[in-house]
Amino acid sequence: MDSLETFVVESAIDSETEFYRKIIEDNLASLKLAPAIGRIKVVLRPEDSLFQMAIILRDVGTRVTTIDIADVETKPVAGEVVISIKKEQYIPELLVKLWERYGKANISQPDRWTVTISTDKPAEEAEFIKEMLIADPRHRLHENLVDFAIRVTPEGFRVRYHLYKGNRFVFVASEETLEREWIEEAGAMLDELMEGGKK
Amino acid sequence: MAVLLPYLYTGGVHKHGLLIELMEDLGGYIIQKVVTGTEVNLIMLVPEKDVDIVKKLSKELLGILVEAPLTGVEIAVVSPTLASHHLPHSACDVAEYLRHPGANTNMLGLARGMGRRVSLSMDYERKLINEHDIAVFTFGSFSDCITKKKPKLFEGIEIPIVVTGGPSDLKTEDIQGADLYVGNIGRVSHRLRRTEEVNALENLNQEVSKIADSIRKQQARDPLAVLPARVMKEIENQVPEIRTVLSPAPLTLQLDGVRVKLPYDQFHEKIEKLEFDEGVTLSELANISRSKMKNYILIKIKSKSDIGFAI
Repeated sequence: MDSLETFVVESAIDSETEFYRKIIEDNLASLKLAPAIGRIKVVLRPEDSLFQMAIILRDVGTRVTTIDIADVETKPVAGEVVISIKKEQYIPELLVKLWERYGKANISQPDRWTVTISTDKPAEEAEFIKEMLIADPRHRLHENLVDFAIRVTPEGFRVRYHLYKGNRFVFVASEETLEREWIEEAGAMLDELMEGGKK
Repeated sequence: MAVLLPYLYTGGVHKHGLLIELMEDLGGYIIQKVVTGTEVNLIMLVPEKDVDIVKKLSKELLGILVEAPLTGVEIAVVSPTLASHHLPHSACDVAEYLRHPGANTNMLGLARGMGRRVSLSMDYERKLINEHDIAVFTFGSFSDCITKKKPKLFEGIEIPIVVTGGPSDLKTEDIQGADLYVGNIGRVSHRLRRTEEVNALENLNQEVSKIADSIRKQQARDPLAVLPARVMKEIENQVPEIRTVLSPAPLTLQLDGVRVKLPYDQFHEKIEKLEFDEGVTLSELANISRSKMKNYILIKIKSKSDIGFAI
């Protein structure tokens, strides 16, 4: 599945469809969600105060542990663990985890590719660090998706329903009490997307 | 009474004092002075017959002098709420653009303005909006909402109402209670900089200027007892504390009054007793009340027909 291979916005009035398409594009860009979304369909019915959205996500990668992004070595004599970083993008998350466990005083960064930790049990700690979970893109994606859904929905639509299962995301929002049909309609939109939904 | 024309001067800080002195000599008024780095913006009221002299001097100082039709107009930019759906784009863009021709704008987010059925405004908010000269409501992209649901927010608003929204085919008459509708400025999540968006903002400025002009014309038939700019100058002279106020516009001019950004309880007597050369005090010429905005002082000048004379 390519990113954004289906991107459909429907509304009774064409010009309003364009406005919402632009809003969705802008918010996808600012939350850096575009690469994660395969197919998306949004239906707007202002006269019913209704906003429906169905999304099929692409594979977003697996959980990241230290060994995926760095080499971990021990220096038993010096009592140090040396982490040589290969992928810079996860440094902030790695450092937060390390600070939590060892304290800032015990961690130094001689250069941007190296983090050294002074500890009494370098060998054991190195084993632990290797398996430590650094980042979970799925978790971050979930946060961003919810944020995205709230940002693109008209503000007054405060009654919300959402479903996030596997790579499927359904969101329905309204000002009134949600009706069962609306959620079912959104479910049907999702099925349509699953079948290809290319237009 | 001399006719005063609003102008905006933009130029270097160097020697701009000459312009301020000239304005004193000619009997004009400096409304606002904003210094940013080495640049200065002067918003001023120039006597009609002396405009050429000011133009000549600003040319010598290598500055730019442009007409600023919204000078002395305080505009409320009202957004349904202060949530990220409306801010900073497009409500801030609207407010910022209205400042180009000299207006002072205040951003106002309603507490419960969002939604269709549930949107409402509070008495406090309506009173605050009514303190301004013109209200600009920034609405969204659905014509259904703009024509049918949102106009209830206009109830109790006594000043001219301008509405901005997305649909470009709506007409002012479609929106009950609105005095003007400007399209192509709907809900967006990016800065308004595409050609049609900037054109729409430009259009908004022109149309709002027309509204301000028509209010001025109406006022000309029954003039104010004293020019707001003159009240402003007298406050600067007689209430030195105004110089310690850090707000960008400590004295904000309105078409029919002045907002004084000093605490009411401490200063209202001083303002009431403000003296003019003609021997009258301000309390005879104007209503002085507590503003809904931050406990400031609001001066609304009475008309000549009200008090029988004008100075």
